[in-house]
Formats: sequence, structure tokens, C-alpha cells
Amino acid sequence: MYNSLKWLMPILVVSLSACSETGDSALKNSNKESKSTAKSLDDSTTLFAIGTEATKELINGWDIDIAIDGSGLPEGSGSVVEGEQLYDNLCAACHGTFGEGEEQWPKLTGGENSLTDQRPLKTIGSYWPYSTTLWDYINRAMPFPAPQSLEVNQVYAITAYVLNMNDIVSDEFILTNQNLASIKMPNAQGFYLDDRPDTSNQRCMKDCKPPESIVVKSGPTYVSTTQGSPSHSELSNTVSSNGQTIYLSGCNLCHDNGLMQAPKIATPSDWVERQQASKDTIYQNAINGLGNMPAKGGRNDLSNNSIKQAVDYMLETLE
Amino acid sequence: MHGFSPKQQLDLITSLELESQALSSSDRRQFLKNAMLMLGAGTTLISPSVGLANSVSKQPSSNLPPNIPEWSKKLGTGVLTEPYGKPSSFEKNVVRDTVDWLTQDRISSVSMTPLHKLKGIITPNGLVFERHHAGVPIINPDQHRLIIHGLVENPLVFSLEELQRFPSVSEIKFLECPANGGMEWKAPQMSGLQFTHGMLSCCEWTGVKLSTLLAEVGVKPEAKWVLAEGADGAAMTRSIPLDKALDDTIIVYAQNGEALRPEQGYPIRLLNPGWEGNTSIKWLRRLKLGKQPWQHREETSKYTDLLPDGKARQFSFVQECNSVITSPCPEKPFQQKGWYEIEGLAWSGKGKIKGVDVSIDGGINWRPVALKGLVLSKCLTRFGFMFHWQGEPLLLQSRAYDETGYVQPTFKQLREVRGGNSIYHKNAIHTWQVHQDGSVQNVQLT
Repeated sequence: MYNSLKWLMPILVVSLSACSETGDSALKNSNKESKSTAKSLDDSTTLFAIGTEATKELINGWDIDIAIDGSGLPEGSGSVVEGEQLYDNLCAACHGTFGEGEEQWPKLTGGENSLTDQRPLKTIGSYWPYSTTLWDYINRAMPFPAPQSLEVNQVYAITAYVLNMNDIVSDEFILTNQNLASIKMPNAQGFYLDDRPDTSNQRCMKDCKPPESIVVKSGPTYVSTTQGSPSHSELSNTVSSNGQTIYLSGCNLCHDNGLMQAPKIATPSDWVERQQASKDTIYQNAINGLGNMPAKGGRNDLSNNSIKQAVDYMLETLE
Repeated sequence: MHGFSPKQQLDLITSLELESQALSSSDRRQFLKNAMLMLGAGTTLISPSVGLANSVSKQPSSNLPPNIPEWSKKLGTGVLTEPYGKPSSFEKNVVRDTVDWLTQDRISSVSMTPLHKLKGIITPNGLVFERHHAGVPIINPDQHRLIIHGLVENPLVFSLEELQRFPSVSEIKFLECPANGGMEWKAPQMSGLQFTHGMLSCCEWTGVKLSTLLAEVGVKPEAKWVLAEGADGAAMTRSIPLDKALDDTIIVYAQNGEALRPEQGYPIRLLNPGWEGNTSIKWLRRLKLGKQPWQHREETSKYTDLLPDGKARQFSFVQECNSVITSPCPEKPFQQKGWYEIEGLAWSGKGKIKGVDVSIDGGINWRPVALKGLVLSKCLTRFGFMFHWQGEPLLLQSRAYDETGYVQPTFKQLREVRGGNSIYHKNAIHTWQVHQDGSVQNVQLT
């Protein structure tokens, strides 16, 4: 390497003084030299013979995917009963004892007939179209902190139990590589192929709609955390008086979906007990914190008045 | 500045200096003076070896004309002070950010690109948005392989070095998570551009076309799909139609001239230009040819679009035409009245951006604006125009259309056909409300 560089040096010096000439001749030379292969450069069917044979042995170690007809499944089996114990030890901490999902970890059960609801619950039982997907996914990616650590029969057992939790197989069921692919999932018919575009907007340029038709729905104001200039923060501190805006600037994190056992917005049943107290008590609970909820939900930058407005908004959604 | 280390002092002073930049020169002088007094600076406590601290303590405004700046009167640092260079310390707030409540933890999570801080169309490598399902694996490239097998004549295994011997291509393409803006389906929930549109980046990607490798292994005629699989703890898989694989899919090993970053799939990833980012499998280890899609978790349970009738659209690969105004935006308000360049980005997974229209009145009237710089297929395209802001409230919108004639839809049009639960592929015309004080708010028009 060193020798060849030293040899190149004088050529580089010469080429600086006669750049284009040297460049042209170099190009001609390279064309001449590579004449035998030049044709193949433009030929996409040319093979370069780079890479080595992927032997069966090499492939088998990594070939873990399962197809919808069950091909790829290794021989093995596991029962619902075996699966329950494994699930309790390995899965329940995140997915919940009954598959209901702890905090924001995925929920595995429930949501039957909820796909047209305002808030659909997409679970293995209510949404997943193929049983083979479940085995494939548990095998390749679960448990979350220790992927690809389960034995084959453990994967069968856990898959069997999760199907059982979703009322897809019986308590006595034993799942095997023979019967997995034939298990029909409740939402098997719930999917269709991409058929977009599904909108056809036009480039209207003038008087496209009456001005009075515009209603502005506000989102949260931007409040700089680590970023932005002081003038910027000053601008954003003008918090809107709108209860919904305040709600959407933080309360929604828990109260939209009931995280940390928060009573959900627009869900009267979650509020029955709370509404027995006076409105003032509800205000004070929101301001001072209650149960898992810290004071002001952690938004100490908000005034007591803003919190009250957010509460008013949430109560309005129950009506 | 008792109790602060020199490094902490420097950080504090740097942030003060940054914060003061928006002020007028006399205000700025006073601001810094007060701040330094408050911190007890200007005393011998500040290490004289800390260059910036030293200069700031001597009143930085003396650097402005007609004075000769500090930095003009001394020597700077030598070469290789930073063997791998990084941005100016004054740019330290230009970083990716996340919305913690979106995900349970940061291992399977997403971070967003600060689009409001970027110029041109290229996203610097350190700012490309991240989306991982099991964290970023640390992969030794010498111990990594790509296997191509299944319905092929000659299954092959490639090392990185071998992949780099094939003819390479370099393409500037956008990469977007299909969930970009997914939090906005029901209502404007995000406070800034970084969170409404920041799962979007654009790089020059270099690698070998997948078609080149498929020629090498010899695809059997019955093969119609390719399963791509990652080497991370999620062993992420997606089924890709063979037509796409033979068209413009790239096995990428470099971005913006250097090796892929670990969080982008080092040493190799797939890139499906114009398609949802999830299909561009990172840390790629295996490609398998088959007759039909595998229906794995990330193409059934996730990355499918639930529609109002309870059915879900599947294999919705293309990222349809989209655009957003990046200046002004909530993070970048108007600071004063006067002339501004209103700028934005447009992109389409189906080809080139043909044009962009802008409205300042919430979509009543529109005017076409100029596309700036490179206009490439499946690539971010910048647009902009000069605007004289006189303190009036605005409802700012951009509407892009691509070379197929598709025009970016309104939120109303999108919701009419897709409802509010489809999570993915939200490409509606976006509205920024500019208030009279110059602040900008994320809003939706009903």
C-alpha cells in the first residue's frame, strides 16, 4: 500500500499541471483495459459472483418465520394449563393477569365487537386475523426483556393460553404444529388490501368556502421545556382560558384512556362516586392530587383557575 | 458562581448567551449584566481557561460593531480538537425529542426530528427520527450477515464488505413513520411541529439495489413476496411485494456520506422509497422469498388502518402526498412585525411534488408558491415565499399536490372516509393559527 502511494505521487503532481489532458487519457486507458467487462456494466442480468453459499445449516439457525399455512413451525406442543403457569411468570407483569394490560403495555384480551366504537380495543381476540402470527411473534420477540429465549414447547403453551384467554380454544386444548394453522381467529375477515387514494381534493383557489363556516378547534399552546428563546416562552405562557385546551395540554394523558386508574373523559360510570362529592371537592382533589394523581396532575405551572376550567370541561363531557 | 464546576458555568453562560440573542442590543446587555451579577460572575471564580465564559463576563455586546470581537483578537482551537466534529455549542438545543406518554418506555418508542430548525432538504444524521421496537442493538459488522433464501435458485449469505463490492446507488429519499401525526386524528393534541410532523427525515442513502442481489440469487418464478427481517431484539419483519423489491428497494449501508448510524440500522437496513418507514427494516439480517405475505404482527395487529365500518386496510404502503409549514410554527413564532420568509416542506411517496398552494385565511383563498432547490421523486421538497406580517391573525395552511395529480386532502375529507381511529397515514392539510402577538398554535378547522 505504502509503496503504491509513493509511486502515485509524481503522477498526481503532473496531473495538476495538465489536468484535463491527463484525465482524458486516463479515461481512455481505463476503457481499453476494461473492454472485456465494459459491456456487462450495463447489463442488469450480469452476475458478480459475490457472496457465499447459504447452506441449509446456516439458514436453519435464522429461519424462524411462520407462514399462515403453518409452514416453518417446529415440531412440538403445549397445553393451555402449561401455558397459564408460564404466562403468570413471564408475561403477566406487563400484559396483566387476564391479558388486560398493565399501564400502557399491550392489552391481549377484550374488545369484542368494539372495532366500530368511538374507542376501539384492538386485541388478539378482537383484531388479529391469523393464529400463526401469535406463535411467530411470541417466538421472535417475547418476553420483551428476553427475546428468542423461549423453548419451542413453551411457545406452544403460551400461545395456547393466550388463545384460551380470548375464548378461542378450550381449557383442555393442546396446541401443536399440526393444529395451529387451522385455528380460525374471530376477526379473520376484518382486513382488505389498500384501495387508496380514497380522497379526491381539488385545487380550488378562490372563495373556496364561506368565511363563517370556519370554526377553529384549538390544540395546546407550545410551552418550551428545554428549548426556545425567552421571548418565545413569554408568548406561549398566555394559556387559553378554554377548558378543553387546558385538558388537552396534559390532563388527556391519563384521563383519555384511564391510565393510572384515572377516571376517563366522557365515561360517566368512572365518575359516579366522585360526583357524589361537591364540585368544590372535585376541584380541590384535582388541585391537591388524589390517589395516583399528583397535585394538578403534575402541571404546577397551571393556575388553580385553569385546573378548575379543565375539570369543568371534563364534567361537561359526562352530560 | 459558587458550587458550579467550570463545565456547569460554561453551560449556564452558554444558555444565557443563547437566550439573550432575541433581545435588542441594549436590552441584551442589561439582561446579561443582571444575569451575571445574579450568578456572581465577573469574579475570579470563573476559570480564565474557559474561553467563552471569559468573553461573556467581559460584556459580550462589546463584540458587536463597531468594536472588534474577542474572537478576532486571539487564536482558536487547532485541528482535531474534535476528531469527529459536532455542531456549535450555541446549537445544543437542536435535538430530537419525544412525547413520553406515547409509549410505555423508551426502548420501544419514537423520537422526532426538529423540523423547525432544519434548512434545505437533508436531515443531519444525528437528527433523523428514531423508531425502535426493542431498542438499538450494537452490531459488530464483521459478525453480521445478510442471508437471502426461500424461493431462490442459489441462497446466498453476504458480509458487509461483500455487499459494498456490488455497484452502489445513492438516492435522496424521505423516510416517514406512517404514524407521523397519528395523535392528531381526533383533535389537535400536539403543541409543536416537532411532534405533529417530526417522524419525518430525508437523507442521501447509499447502498446496493435489492434487484441486483435478487439477480444474484435467482428468484424462482412462483415467488411474489419478500420477507425482510431485522437482527434486533424485535426481529422486526415485514412482507414486501416482489414488484417493489425489484423496482427501487435499496440495501442501505450509508446515509449522508457516512456509515449508517446505529439507530438507523447499522450496519445495513432496507429502504423502500416512498413507503411507510416501518417496511424499511433496520439491522437487516435476512430476506426470504415466498408466494404470499407472512401476515406477521407488524402488518396485521399494527400498521393497519382501522376504518369506521370496523374493517381495516392492510398493506397500505405508500405515504401519500403531504406538506406542512415549518416557519413560522409553534416553536418558531413571529418575533416582530415585518417581512418573513414563510417556508415549508412537501413530499409524496408516489413521486415528485408538482406544486404547493398556501392559504393565510384558513383555506378560503389560496396562492401557488415557489418550490425551492432540488425537486426529486419521493424526497422532501422545500417551498417558500416572502410575506409581510403586520400583526394580523392568520390561519396558515399549505396544500401540496404530486405528479400523479393527487391533491393533499383536508382533515374533513380524510375523516369522512377514515373516521378517527386509523392512527396511520394522516396527511391532512395542516393549520397553524398565528395570533396577534406572533405566537403560533396548532389548530384544526371543523
